[in-house]
Amino acid sequence: MSESCKVNSERRGDVAILWTDGYINNQGGEEIAREAYAQLDGGARALVLNLEKTRIVNSIGISILIEVLEKVMDRKGALAFCGLTPTIDKTFRIMGLAQYAEIYPTQEEALRGVNPQPA
Amino acid sequence: MTAPAPTSPAARLDELWKRIGAALDCDGPLSSRVADAALVATGARDATLYLKERDAWVRAGDSLPGAAAPDEIPDPLPEGIFQREGNLWLPLAAEGEIHGLLRLHGLEEAGAPENASLLAFVLGSVVGTHRLARQVRDAEFELKARLLELESLYDLGLSLGGQLDLSALADEVLFRSISLTDAGKGSLVLFEESGAVLLERSVGGDVVSSREAAAWTLPEGGVINNAAATVPTAGKALAGCEKCLAVAISVPDRRLGVLAVADKESRDGRVLDFTATDARLLSLFANQAAGAIETARLHKDAIEKERIERELELAAGIQRQILPRDLPNVAGLEVAAKNRPTRQVGGDYFDFFPLSGGRLAFLVADVSGKGVPAALLVSTVHAAVHLQIDEAKTVADLIGRIDRHLQKFSATRKFLTCFFGLIEPDSGTLRYVSAGHNPALLRRGSGAVEQVKATGVPIGMFPNASWREETVVMEKGDLLCVYSDGITEALDTADEEFGLERLEKLMSAEAPGGVCETIFDAVSEFAGDAPQYDDQTLLLLRRT
Repeated sequence: MSESCKVNSERRGDVAILWTDGYINNQGGEEIAREAYAQLDGGARALVLNLEKTRIVNSIGISILIEVLEKVMDRKGALAFCGLTPTIDKTFRIMGLAQYAEIYPTQEEALRGVNPQPA
Repeated sequence: MTAPAPTSPAARLDELWKRIGAALDCDGPLSSRVADAALVATGARDATLYLKERDAWVRAGDSLPGAAAPDEIPDPLPEGIFQREGNLWLPLAAEGEIHGLLRLHGLEEAGAPENASLLAFVLGSVVGTHRLARQVRDAEFELKARLLELESLYDLGLSLGGQLDLSALADEVLFRSISLTDAGKGSLVLFEESGAVLLERSVGGDVVSSREAAAWTLPEGGVINNAAATVPTAGKALAGCEKCLAVAISVPDRRLGVLAVADKESRDGRVLDFTATDARLLSLFANQAAGAIETARLHKDAIEKERIERELELAAGIQRQILPRDLPNVAGLEVAAKNRPTRQVGGDYFDFFPLSGGRLAFLVADVSGKGVPAALLVSTVHAAVHLQIDEAKTVADLIGRIDRHLQKFSATRKFLTCFFGLIEPDSGTLRYVSAGHNPALLRRGSGAVEQVKATGVPIGMFPNASWREETVVMEKGDLLCVYSDGITEALDTADEEFGLERLEKLMSAEAPGGVCETIFDAVSEFAGDAPQYDDQTLLLLRRT
């Protein structure tokens, strides 16, 4: 596994997708926060965090993700996760992240979740 | 149409507090709500909020919180509201503790507004309440983190219980160990029984050098090195780590590996000390891993054993086809032969070749090694003899041909001892070559036993070797006994060999079949429960 977490992002309409690759610890969390805030400041309404290349998250990383989630909620936006390993999925649910952010199996489902099409 | 502006001071004050309340009640982060309320209350152009985080002042803002610059906050802090460099500073206190500082810039009038003290009190209460709420939230987070540890232990037990893939098992243990101790990096090394490295994994960089980890002294409960990350025994510094925690992965009689994590992280970037709770958690993970690794190893061994047994059974089947099923019926001779392998397949081989003119050729061979490789060599020898026997001019020529065949086609550098005889029953002439084989025994009708000794080196041992062919005449009633060293070197429970002398004494006037059974019975009785490591083969031939 890579030594530091890398984060890439892409805007699709008013949704930004962030891909993480590596350990979400203090450094990884801050990379995510930096990218997320840049996207929010750039006008993104919702964030989708795709963690399919991440296999470890520690509590510092989780607390930063909570900060990002609070920031999104302050702005009346939405945040969704996808591509979680079963261990990270359970970690997020226990630590309360799933209380305010939806968890989806795939990126496509997450995109549909944060950006529902009008009926 | 707008509402008329309040005219009385009380009405204006009431209106002002409503607007402050509205600013505080709106959505958004605390920093902007407090700043907005302060701007409404004072008419300042700009407001900045600083919050106390672990004895350090942090500028609260809309982006990531950043530490205040060294000279940004007055030190020491004056008591109460103060002015400095055109800014008005309001300490925000609650319950006698200052939780925040509000800096107001661009006030319309010099000096503190008349409602500044009241504003500081109100905003201090807001910030204090916010801090309290955050402390509650942090405590809740800690509680959830402890719950996560318990759940992880439970999950790891379930997950490892059915995990027979060592690589996946190592990842699972290492990832959870790093994650739950908040370590920046971690390593896991597993060793073979021989001490060689079986597997190594690292995340974030190596904590343990696999070459050195085997020598680490790791007591029960592990070793915490918070003062400096050093090798527990030698005190040598671990490259790239500040603090480390290491535990042994062990079963009662053996260390299976080492699990180590380093550099416990904090939100503010400091490297924290590992705690006794971290060590206990890591030890629990290591214990669970040890059980699972041992199970996986035993499973792997069982599969390997099953595979070897299948191979041996297959090879034994091939060898059964190689050994003659029936004894030859040759006028003027009585023969008997028997082979008892010590494993499912062995390195002994005997054969008979009835030839023209009533002659009989026979051999007893003992190849080096045991098991499948030895059986393969036996198979090669069998093929070589059957291919060359009709071409060879003499017994010595045949042995030379077999030797060249083995030198050319045998994959491994192996050799065999062999007694090859060719007897003419009418005359009793026995031509033979003994290629490094044990001395055959020839019991004369008088009861005297002669040794028929080797006439050359083992086959396949030296290139360009040659063998001397000897002749001996067997009189009627004489009994020849050719055997492998598994007979004479059979061990009893005291590690004593059966020996040539005991064998000689069993050479009787009985029929060869009877002598053969007597010898095998005697060897079995002699050996008792002692395990035997070599195949046992007998070939007996009497001239009648």
